Amino acid sequence: MSLKVRARSNSIHVMLFYSGGCNGCDIEAVNALLSPRYDMEQYKVLFTWNPREADVLVVSGIVSWQLLEPLKKFYSMIPDPKGVVAIGSCALNGNVYKNMVGEIGTNDEIHAPVENVIPVDVRVPGCPPRPEDILAGVVKAIPKLLEAP
Amino acid sequence: MAENAKSNTPAKVIEKELSFGPVHPALIEPYRIRLFVNDEYVEDCEITINMAYRGIEKLFEGLPVDRALLIAEKVCGICSHVHAFNSVRVVEGGLKINVPERANYIRVLTHETQRITSHLILLAHAFEVLGHETFSMRTFLLRETFMDLMGYLGGNRVMASVAVIGGIRPRADLTEPLKRAILDRIDEFEKKYLNFVERVLADPMVMARLTGVGFMTKEEAIKWYATGPTGRGSAWDFDLRRDMKEYKPFDFNIITQDGCDNKARIVVRALEVIESVKIIRQVVKNIPDGPIINNEWCVARMDYTTAYNESYRGELMHSYALDDRGLLRNYKIRTPTITNLAAMEQVCIGDHVTDAIVTIASCDPCLTCCTRAEVVESGKSRSMSELEIVKKFGWRR
Repeated sequence: MSLKVRARSNSIHVMLFYSGGCNGCDIEAVNALLSPRYDMEQYKVLFTWNPREADVLVVSGIVSWQLLEPLKKFYSMIPDPKGVVAIGSCALNGNVYKNMVGEIGTNDEIHAPVENVIPVDVRVPGCPPRPEDILAGVVKAIPKLLEAP
Repeated sequence: MAENAKSNTPAKVIEKELSFGPVHPALIEPYRIRLFVNDEYVEDCEITINMAYRGIEKLFEGLPVDRALLIAEKVCGICSHVHAFNSVRVVEGGLKINVPERANYIRVLTHETQRITSHLILLAHAFEVLGHETFSMRTFLLRETFMDLMGYLGGNRVMASVAVIGGIRPRADLTEPLKRAILDRIDEFEKKYLNFVERVLADPMVMARLTGVGFMTKEEAIKWYATGPTGRGSAWDFDLRRDMKEYKPFDFNIITQDGCDNKARIVVRALEVIESVKIIRQVVKNIPDGPIINNEWCVARMDYTTAYNESYRGELMHSYALDDRGLLRNYKIRTPTITNLAAMEQVCIGDHVTDAIVTIASCDPCLTCCTRAEVVESGKSRSMSELEIVKKFGWRR
């Protein structure tokens, strides 16, 4: 393990971005990242609300048009190398909001999936995903950060 | 407000605006708060919602009624069961579908289980905003009991999908091992929770932050229609569970507090958790045998029907009509936060700026489920204000 990898692996910060949706993933992600039962810090991953400090961006929800520009802005604020974890069916394919429309045909209000807006590294399916899955997803994004030049 | 401030005070005072959000540590959901402060005291408050607009009511248009449940449940991730529950109550009321007694008991069980998780997430959020991390973490740990029970019951910790038209899903039937698990877990929970509540109420620092802040009298609560625990914290004794036929077999108290401040609103929720535990225990002990679903129904034309339910944050309304082919028309949802928002904006006026977020959090905002209405004016989109919604749809039934 090189010095760089050793130093980086102790300072992984995660930021949560909630881009619309139903709150379910959001509460489960807060559960996974903060709560004492599913403690993220056991993997040396810390939680932050500051995008300039973060390394991994956890995105949940459909991307509503109000949060389209903020999401791009937050992504650009995160310093390189960075990883993006998309959690929940909404972030992966738009869930019922995109795929189960009635007579209007298409739902133009939402910009899901998230990978249309920003590049995504890890996908965590589920509606909502279990906190264990969110933990596993964030842990999977770490090697990319460590191996980056 | 701004003119009054200027005329009463010397011209030197500059009105300052503090703006939070949409992404901010103090707000879990995306919304924007603008606080107009004068000398660190809030003079006016403006909450901008609509960040999570998904056009839900339009998605329902033309869907078969049994598929509508899948979307209705995903209106909100904190109160998912009550939306599914109330959505099926509309069609059951309109088409006169009898629901077996056993199914009603299990619906109530899920309802109360999720009420506890919702109240505990508010307590955790309020303590986090107050800066008391330990209480917040303890609440999160206590909440896990009921998240597990939801998982055992429906297979998913959040979207349990218990209610279907005419009864409940077979997966969510209450089996003997599950009954034992529920009783064991809630006994353990109650012991820990009572300890925790005593500890919180004895904490001088937390109580000093909460007492006497965010004052809302009973008249104001009725005027702004602060439903649910927010109104009951202002001594307004109003709970729809008293009139619901699903709740007839159960014995429980409606908690009200006459403190009218943040402490009262938080204590109401803390005590309601104990009442919900009481109901869960009654469900498990008295659940009758029998079928869990009534399939003897067929879609037909239905006039505009409305169902009200006591959601975790207050009064919830669902209403829709079915056309000749049994497709949904004019789905309308009114969630409690729409009317509570008006109270939130008014209540934090006059307090210190550090207490404003706690006051808003103590009214339990759930902006996601209330984000549906949108008015487009002169090419520029804006959300519909509470007043317009009230004028259009009325305060009450």
